[in-house]
Amino acid sequence: MRYLITILILFCAVLQAAQPVIPIEKFSLKNGLRVVMSRDNAVPVVTVYLMFDVGSRAEEKGRTGFAHLFEHMMFEGSTNAPKGTHFKLVQANGGTLNGSTHPDYTNYFEVLPSNKLAVALWLESDRMRSLAITAENLANQKEAVKQERRLSFDNRPYSTAIVDVWPQLAFENWQSSHSLIGSFEDLNAATLKDVESFFKTYYAPNNAVLVIVGDIKVPEAKKLVETYFGDIPSQRKPKPADLTEPEQPKPRSQVYHDQHARVPGVVIGYRGPLRHSPDYYAIGMLDVLLTGGPSSRFQLDLVKGKQSVIQYQAELGWPFASISDYKNPGDYAMFLLYKPNFTSKQIVDQAQEEIAKIQNDGVDIMELERARTLLRSERITSLQSSFQRASLLAGYEVLDGNPEYVNTELERFLTVTSEQIQAAAKKYLTPERRSVLDILPGPAPQAPSPKESK
Amino acid sequence: MLKKGLVFLFAGLITMAQTIDRTKPPETPPIPSYKMPPAHETKLDNGLRVVLVEDPRFPLVTARLSFQAGSKFDPKDLPGLSETTAALLTQGTKTRSFREIAEELATIGASLNGNSSPDVLTIAGSVLAENTPKFLDLLADVALNPSFPEDEVQLRKQNRKQALLAQRSQSSFLAREKFDEVVFGDHPYSHLGPSMEAIDRMDQAAIRNFRDVHVIPNHAVLILLGRLPTRPEILKMVSDRFGSWQQKPVPQPPAARFPESKRQLVLVDRPGSVQADIHIGRLSATRTDPGYYPLLVGNAILGGGANSRLFNDVREKRGFAYDAHSELDRRKDTGVAAAVTQVRNEVVEPALEAVFSNLVEMGKTPVTAVELSDAKNYISGVFVMSLETQAGVADQIDLVKTMGLPNDYLEAFTQHVRSVEPDQIQAAVKKYFAPDQATIVVVGDASKIQKPLEKFGSVTVEKAK
Repeated sequence: MRYLITILILFCAVLQAAQPVIPIEKFSLKNGLRVVMSRDNAVPVVTVYLMFDVGSRAEEKGRTGFAHLFEHMMFEGSTNAPKGTHFKLVQANGGTLNGSTHPDYTNYFEVLPSNKLAVALWLESDRMRSLAITAENLANQKEAVKQERRLSFDNRPYSTAIVDVWPQLAFENWQSSHSLIGSFEDLNAATLKDVESFFKTYYAPNNAVLVIVGDIKVPEAKKLVETYFGDIPSQRKPKPADLTEPEQPKPRSQVYHDQHARVPGVVIGYRGPLRHSPDYYAIGMLDVLLTGGPSSRFQLDLVKGKQSVIQYQAELGWPFASISDYKNPGDYAMFLLYKPNFTSKQIVDQAQEEIAKIQNDGVDIMELERARTLLRSERITSLQSSFQRASLLAGYEVLDGNPEYVNTELERFLTVTSEQIQAAAKKYLTPERRSVLDILPGPAPQAPSPKESK
Repeated sequence: MLKKGLVFLFAGLITMAQTIDRTKPPETPPIPSYKMPPAHETKLDNGLRVVLVEDPRFPLVTARLSFQAGSKFDPKDLPGLSETTAALLTQGTKTRSFREIAEELATIGASLNGNSSPDVLTIAGSVLAENTPKFLDLLADVALNPSFPEDEVQLRKQNRKQALLAQRSQSSFLAREKFDEVVFGDHPYSHLGPSMEAIDRMDQAAIRNFRDVHVIPNHAVLILLGRLPTRPEILKMVSDRFGSWQQKPVPQPPAARFPESKRQLVLVDRPGSVQADIHIGRLSATRTDPGYYPLLVGNAILGGGANSRLFNDVREKRGFAYDAHSELDRRKDTGVAAAVTQVRNEVVEPALEAVFSNLVEMGKTPVTAVELSDAKNYISGVFVMSLETQAGVADQIDLVKTMGLPNDYLEAFTQHVRSVEPDQIQAAVKKYFAPDQATIVVVGDASKIQKPLEKFGSVTVEKAK
């Protein structure tokens, strides 16, 4: 018994040192706003990060792109901070800001010199309390979103394939399969009433998490939060969208002709495990083995060995989320660019073969140890900036209700075994459960090609 | 008891509510000053400068080993040679294969990458602090003993050609590539990357030669920052590994001769483009020119971010574009000031006019006091923000050491920004953002936008590469 305890203590000591511990203070205001704070006085900088529990997957049919359109509306001014104030004030106080829309959440943040904390809280609370939803602002932002679509999607290689086409292939449930940026038609159809009701429902304090990280004094920051956000009324909690996805009965594939692309690409995806299930950690480690760093299997075997693949990216939650911030169901998907003297089928087979090696043989302890060290090092590196810490804390609170994951998740990944990785690979990453989107350079031969199977 | 607690809380809230006036932004003190962690600088006998910075916040060490060997040193017939050499440094040494380097790096939780900018070739990396000695072994090995294996050279060439194709499928890259070509003229700064032909011509001998001439200790700087071993320990580690490195003659950089700035208009035809990528700019100041700080502040007011004139006018007021900004490209021997936007085809003409009128206006009238103080705060705040990470601090120090900036550059930066006056800004903008001396490069569908462009001068149309 004593022996066992000693081992346990030693084990804990090793794990304790795995990463620096991020201090966390969590509380809720009476209106339901959840607040997470983390103090770090090393550099006089503070990140204020608001995450709302709504994304494109909460949209209704006929309203694609609405969550993102609304994100634009959030910069159109509020009662005490009229249009333009937000950008102006943050930058005039030496800060930067932005917002972004994802399938499962929308975020807004300011990074500022730390003694400007109140400025960010004033701005964020004013728009949460009294956003200026006017016909003029809506018309204006519809145009801005269309322009963004032209710039970021319609004019860029691979973008349309990834944003509009891939989700349709990978998911059957409309909530997950429709375009995040939306169609021009749906954007045009959005009414002022839609915007008002979306605001009331999803932008209430009880549907949000406020994270403050950096050079703060926690009691003072708490007082400021109470002062600025305490009296914003809560609303009835919205019903979460039904994201249930039917089992995928057979493999799916589709070809997309991309007139802007010059190098062929392919997207390969598999329905992933439930968040925080044992398999989730196993797939996470498998991803490091396949694609993490210059000693990954894709790098050594495909880029170097077979000399077929040029570049790749892969992620549980790809393309708009990551392993730390997707809601179930999420896909483990990868996007590869390859040399034109190979076919898409060859590339898919090669990727599948890399997976098969792990399914059949597992992974030796040296390689697994390397992957663990790499993951640990990457995690510590990413924890350096207050913004990164804030986004992790916000995601874990909104999606899991547990910001402590920022300190405990790494350990879960580091203790995954070869057998667990092997088993998860066999269960999830099989050709039968696979979706493949071919992205071929150049315009479509004639009419757009029909889906080959679905 | 419970009631008492509630009353107390309630009273507390009322007191606080009375102290704020929601209709106005809160008053806050000025941006706090921040002192950089002290840097200890020394030099090895072979001339290698070593800069050590103790930064104990995270259990990591970050390294930069930088050489005066950027792409401006590329031979005329081999654009991209510096970049290729940099990338191949980590792909094999006399005693380690690519695989061994990659696996050893992963084993110690490290990364190591060679890359090249117009002036500087840098090997950059970081490691879990406990593995610093092993990391320095690898860093020294890739710097001193790269072997440029033939198969890695061939693979790099193939993949770089594909990557170049992929880059050129992006309108923004085509715009940047052509803009640099026109603005810098015959100077080697004019190539943004390699050409297809140059990649074909590149071989092991050329890469070895570039390395022999340029990757030398006596004009290099090694920066180590983070949770370092004690000073004597780290100094010994460095001299043990880098001390035997042989000095060589320092190569001459290309003459800093640049073309006269004049109005010229180039349209790169990209059929099917749904919008036009527009770059308008000319040569401008380096970080050490007297007019630099006024230009820096002026650029922030003109087009630095979402509080700027271009953003507010071209995007917010007129709705022509999602992005409209201005930027400074600050190289060692010159700089470039440019306004950049992407607009839909139908509004190319009014958008260009809007950008021009913003440029002219700023050269004519002084900026307002509010604009001035806002911009100064913005620049100072963003500067402090860059110091949150080890990589951020290391890059700032690297900049000072490689670009020949004064030693107090970082300490004095905010002070210099604060002291800029409106008349200096007006002069700087008038000079460096002058529309009549600006090169205009537009990438888009010529069949849709050539006509409107011709209203601004004679247009040279080129095919997209």
